Amino acid sequence: MSSQTITEDQRDCLQEVINVAMGQASDKLARFLETFVHLEVPNIELVSTKEVTDMLAVKYEQDAVSLVSQGFSGAEGLRGEALLIYSKINADEIADLLGYTEDEATHTEQLTDISSLLTTTFLEGLAEQLETALSYSAPRVMMLQEHGIAKMLEEKTFNWEYALKVNISYLVTDHSFNCDMLLLFPGTAVEVLKQVLDEILEDF
Amino acid sequence: MTEQLHGIILDQINAGVLVINSDMEIDYWNRFLQIHSGRGNDDVVGKSLFDVFPELPKPSLRRKLQGVFLLGTPTFSSWEQRHHLFEMPHSRPITTASQHMAQNCSFLPLKDEMGTVTQVCIIIEDATDVCFYQGELNTTMSKLEKSSRTDGLTQISNRRYWEERLSIEFSRVVRHGGHLSLIMFDLDKFKSINDVYGHQAGDHVLVETAKQLTDALRTTDLAGRYGGEEFGIVLPDTSLDQAMVVAERIRTRIADKEFTFEEQVLPVTISLGVTQFDLSQKNHEKMIAQADSALYKAKEGGRNRSVKFEVE
Repeated sequence: MSSQTITEDQRDCLQEVINVAMGQASDKLARFLETFVHLEVPNIELVSTKEVTDMLAVKYEQDAVSLVSQGFSGAEGLRGEALLIYSKINADEIADLLGYTEDEATHTEQLTDISSLLTTTFLEGLAEQLETALSYSAPRVMMLQEHGIAKMLEEKTFNWEYALKVNISYLVTDHSFNCDMLLLFPGTAVEVLKQVLDEILEDF
Repeated sequence: MTEQLHGIILDQINAGVLVINSDMEIDYWNRFLQIHSGRGNDDVVGKSLFDVFPELPKPSLRRKLQGVFLLGTPTFSSWEQRHHLFEMPHSRPITTASQHMAQNCSFLPLKDEMGTVTQVCIIIEDATDVCFYQGELNTTMSKLEKSSRTDGLTQISNRRYWEERLSIEFSRVVRHGGHLSLIMFDLDKFKSINDVYGHQAGDHVLVETAKQLTDALRTTDLAGRYGGEEFGIVLPDTSLDQAMVVAERIRTRIADKEFTFEEQVLPVTISLGVTQFDLSQKNHEKMIAQADSALYKAKEGGRNRSVKFEVE
């Protein structure tokens, strides 16, 4: 699929845009959560469905994970889903991080709240860089401390043969908490993204 | 569109719209909320959100709203995690059992030209229908799951499910060690009960035996109808001697119980074969075969007795 490749320039541009968005996001999150949030420099790849599920199967082979998905959409068909993957999370840690008092919110509610914060803060920064605006759907808990994430994704994901995989690790100091974020764009949205990146490149 | 038109749409829309400022005071609410919350305009606009709606989970919602103001990002509350935020009756009071409207709420930042969030718009959608059908679906699924593993006549586990569980327990002791015992038993001279008293009497005996069994067993034991008049009991973490005690308890319970059908007393006793896991057994079928062979000895020995399997 020749159309489903991104050029070196587009890749660099996206990397830069994401770096800036991540910087902004960790700064904002740190202020809100009153702790240091470290976002690891992601690696960007255009991958097939199969590659994503294979990668997840290897990485989370032994672990029960929780998976939260949040859809986003912008103008001209830029849309996708952000998947947040948590393994070995401690419910108390999240409540503490969010500043919720004990028993105030259920574990799944805390999980969706923290996911929404992490996802939207980053994506807002990204949208700003791409000079667009995004709308979001409510986050959905797709797995709760379950095994077999790869199989679940194979069964539940449709509509994207190729996707742009942006792996982002959130690490929060003071709290033993970290998770992986995976941004998935369906093929048509990758085309849109490439156009937007080209426009940015032209401005340089 | 004119502002007037916006106002009309906001008042017609089938969702609640509420706008609050950074002091958590209500700047605007639409007609949907007026109707459903049963409050008057003067009691709401300009008042504190948490005073007007005291049912809101104040600390966590305040924190969520702070996030929207500070980060400029939306946040959400779904009925799946929290049934509702705003306590309101719903639009299907007759056909659904729940009292309050299930809600999906979105909290959207409203920014000024400088990009500063000055207000938050809360959109409240009625998710009662979805919530109701999801509940129905869950109930149906669990009923289906139960019926797929239950024997229709006796209401204990059917053979397929019972054997599946035995095989799981078998794999467990192979991997982790420990005890596992198995009892197989059947009703003595069941054919003649059917012949003399009729098949309905036979069915009654099977149902009553299963009931006695359920009452006599510990929660960790699993009884199943293996076929015809034969039953099996999986006893995890149980040695052969302990299993023999259980077997005898069941045997005497059945023997002492008076089975009656249409005012006739039926002669009901059972014969039991007992075995335990050991490393020479290749699979769970081998355990069944051993218990069956002990059961055969019990029949040969005169019935109404428990026999443990011994290697010859």
